[in-house]
Amino acid sequence: MKKHSMLSEIWRRFRKNHHAVVGLAVLVLFVLIAVFAEQLAPFGYDDQDASRAMIAPCMEYPFGTDNLGRDVLSRLIYGSRYSLSIGFLAVGISVLTGGFLGVIAAYYPKLDNIIMRCMDLFMAIPQMLLAMCIVTALGSSLFNLMLAVGLSSTPKFARVVRASVLATREQEFVEAARAIGAGNWRIILHHILPNSISSLIVQATLAMAGAIISASALSFLGFGIQAPMPEWGAMLSAGRKYIRTQAYLTVIPGLAIMVVVYALNVVGDGLRDCLDPRLKK
Amino acid sequence: MAEILRVEELTKYFATKKGTLHAVDGVSFSVEEGKTLGIVGESGCGKSTLGRVILHLHQRTGGRIVFQGKDISDVTPAQLKELRKDMQIIFQDPYASLNPRMSIGEIIAEPLKIYKLYPSKEERQKKVREIMDVVGLAERTYSLYPHELDGGRRQRVGIARALILNPRLIVCDEPVSALDVSIQAQILNLMMELQRERNLTYLFITHNLSVVKHISDDITVMYLGQMVEKAGASEIFAHQYHPYTKALISAIPQPKYNAPDQQIILKGEITSPINVTKSCRFAPRCIYAKPECFEREPQLEEISKDHFVKCHFVREINGL
Amino acid sequence: MRRGGVGDPGAGNPTTALGIMGLVPDPPGEVLSGSVLFEGQDLLQLPEKNMREIRGGKISMIFQDPMTSLNPVMTVGEQIAEVVLLHSRMSKQEARKKAMEMLEQVGIPGGRCDDYPHQFSGGMKQRVMIAIALACSPELLIADEPTTALDVTIQAQVLELMRNLKREYGTSLILITHDLGVVAKICDKVAVVYAGEIIEYGTLEDIYTDKRHPYTIGLFDSLPDIENEAAELKVIQGMVPDPSNLPEGCKFHPRCPYAQEGCKHGRVEPVQISETHMVRCGRFRSGEV
Repeated sequence: MKKHSMLSEIWRRFRKNHHAVVGLAVLVLFVLIAVFAEQLAPFGYDDQDASRAMIAPCMEYPFGTDNLGRDVLSRLIYGSRYSLSIGFLAVGISVLTGGFLGVIAAYYPKLDNIIMRCMDLFMAIPQMLLAMCIVTALGSSLFNLMLAVGLSSTPKFARVVRASVLATREQEFVEAARAIGAGNWRIILHHILPNSISSLIVQATLAMAGAIISASALSFLGFGIQAPMPEWGAMLSAGRKYIRTQAYLTVIPGLAIMVVVYALNVVGDGLRDCLDPRLKK
Repeated sequence: MAEILRVEELTKYFATKKGTLHAVDGVSFSVEEGKTLGIVGESGCGKSTLGRVILHLHQRTGGRIVFQGKDISDVTPAQLKELRKDMQIIFQDPYASLNPRMSIGEIIAEPLKIYKLYPSKEERQKKVREIMDVVGLAERTYSLYPHELDGGRRQRVGIARALILNPRLIVCDEPVSALDVSIQAQILNLMMELQRERNLTYLFITHNLSVVKHISDDITVMYLGQMVEKAGASEIFAHQYHPYTKALISAIPQPKYNAPDQQIILKGEITSPINVTKSCRFAPRCIYAKPECFEREPQLEEISKDHFVKCHFVREINGL
Repeated sequence: MRRGGVGDPGAGNPTTALGIMGLVPDPPGEVLSGSVLFEGQDLLQLPEKNMREIRGGKISMIFQDPMTSLNPVMTVGEQIAEVVLLHSRMSKQEARKKAMEMLEQVGIPGGRCDDYPHQFSGGMKQRVMIAIALACSPELLIADEPTTALDVTIQAQVLELMRNLKREYGTSLILITHDLGVVAKICDKVAVVYAGEIIEYGTLEDIYTDKRHPYTIGLFDSLPDIENEAAELKVIQGMVPDPSNLPEGCKFHPRCPYAQEGCKHGRVEPVQISETHMVRCGRFRSGEV
């Protein structure tokens, strides 16, 4: 009898999904780029030179230069650090806070009303406004930006998690766990969460794209990332002014965001499938 | 034989939008160790709720539960955890009652982990394999997932999970209703064999009268939350005194050529016991109903030795 | 004529019926060969358009689960009238009147015509299903486990109703079930299905008093008998085979107590052992029994 450890089993199943493997490779590539930005970038992210402003993509500057003569490729490489960490961490924050509140609300009916009405209240405030308030209150920094983006999408996660936990909670195997003497936390962690995780994973991968965009919008408004720090969203909005003449200034950071988001989505799908033993074959 | 479980005037009400649902209403019985009490009734008669109230999976509304000589009506969470070692449940649906994300080995080992009974992984696995052997599960199913097994083997997993803590009492909630006919017999035989070997007590809840007759020593018939008739298994199939029991037993289609057709067709449908009044709950469907039946609730009466019936006119109807 | 199809779930009996109705989902299912003759016409050769006329008109079907077979956002009256309007030239008023009549037929007050399915109990929903199936006075009714989801006393009511309707309208019935008791109650002929094949076929009397196939015998023996008490139930060993991975030769041989070397290979042809009684078992081919 072959004995697989849990992780190698999941990896074995994940490998069978070719789309997801490609997605994962793309993500790993971007993470590596972010880590080794200093070594990879041909120029500094803030090397200005008015004499070479607005050069269209060519051999020397594969992605061209912007209005201040900065190399777009270098800025893109450095920008991946900020964009990726904002995407991962902000979503991590929403997953943790939203997931926790959603589980508690669904599992303890007494707290349900209090938690969910608070969430409704938060949802009534435009997400951007909420994030701006949080950044203003905490002061503008990269971490506070992530916190603001993450917290402002907490209610969405809480709702998704609550709905799927409510459905899972009614299943007989949960009652079976209670009958063998399992405590509340054991039931939540071993029985309910693994069976309601798929909607959370899908929501998380989709939200990561949103997080990158919101962070850039906040940067654009002057909260969070400040010029001259390169960040894909900020680059996108800065290039907007020249979209008619120098389209590559918007297209290139836009493409970068799109590729990462697409990769995240395929990986999310693959992850959801390989975590479900029913879809093994 | 020693009595292992006694319930007295057990009630369970649910508050619903339409009013109070009397799911279990004043049920009393006792079971001796090593015996099987069959609880029979149609959907909505409260039989499953009864089993879950005894196991404290639902909080009771009133009444007493005495288990192994101790009153367990009110227990602290710590006491309840200890109690669950001795009282287990087998569920109806072997598809829904196993966590799809856990392997068979993990599912069966979970009770051991909860009670920290075999701290070392090797010992635990050994114990799990032992019990898998007892219920007739092949070695190789250990690392499979529930969806890879058919209904019969899944139900064996459910039985193994219930047995691993060595309980004294098992509530069996329709354990074979979801299985194929040819698999049903395998599971019933296994359950009876386990009972003999381990002196288990079963509370066997089902709507299937032929199954319950086969496995039970005593049978209780429930209708809308109440017991309407209680007697030994062979006694109740030989003489049914309550009009509902008569109809229920006559309604079983016999798998025989030219079986005599003495079916009693009941009128109307089973209602929910919501906001019940003081009357016989079966009266609206009873062919013998008289005005009195709608005004006064009958009491459970001993008609012959150990044979109880809840009907005003039981003597008249049966010519006793 | 009422015919019962008996077999464990997964034995292929509902699919047979779906095949007759031309409802086998395609893909994954495809009727590979054979013909279905209905009143001398091969239904498998008919174009979809003509088939639609037959479905619900001349042949109709009742499903196992009355809870999910009715559309929850249409009143039951509308659902019955829908079938009537599809298959006959009636005005809406007439169709509605017909719907009320049909409800009365199955023992539901016609006034409940404007109620929605959730306002009915399980037994009543199954009656509504029967009303829909019978609305166009079909010549053939296919019922797939029509009473399995119902309680015993309600099952008795529904079976009684089906018996009476059959007597009144002369409708033929194909009843698919795993319950041998139900078959004994309303069928004239029985086909026992195992792993997609009819393994025994005969009149009710043939099958119930003179069963020959080891599977049929095992099926009857594994039922707890309400009249006799046996200490242990007889069982058929092993599991129902996976339909996508059927054994070679006789499909029952891995579970059969009489299996011999010859059963493991080749196709087992049906043998007619009396005018009405067919068995598909190798022991009869070689004339051993």
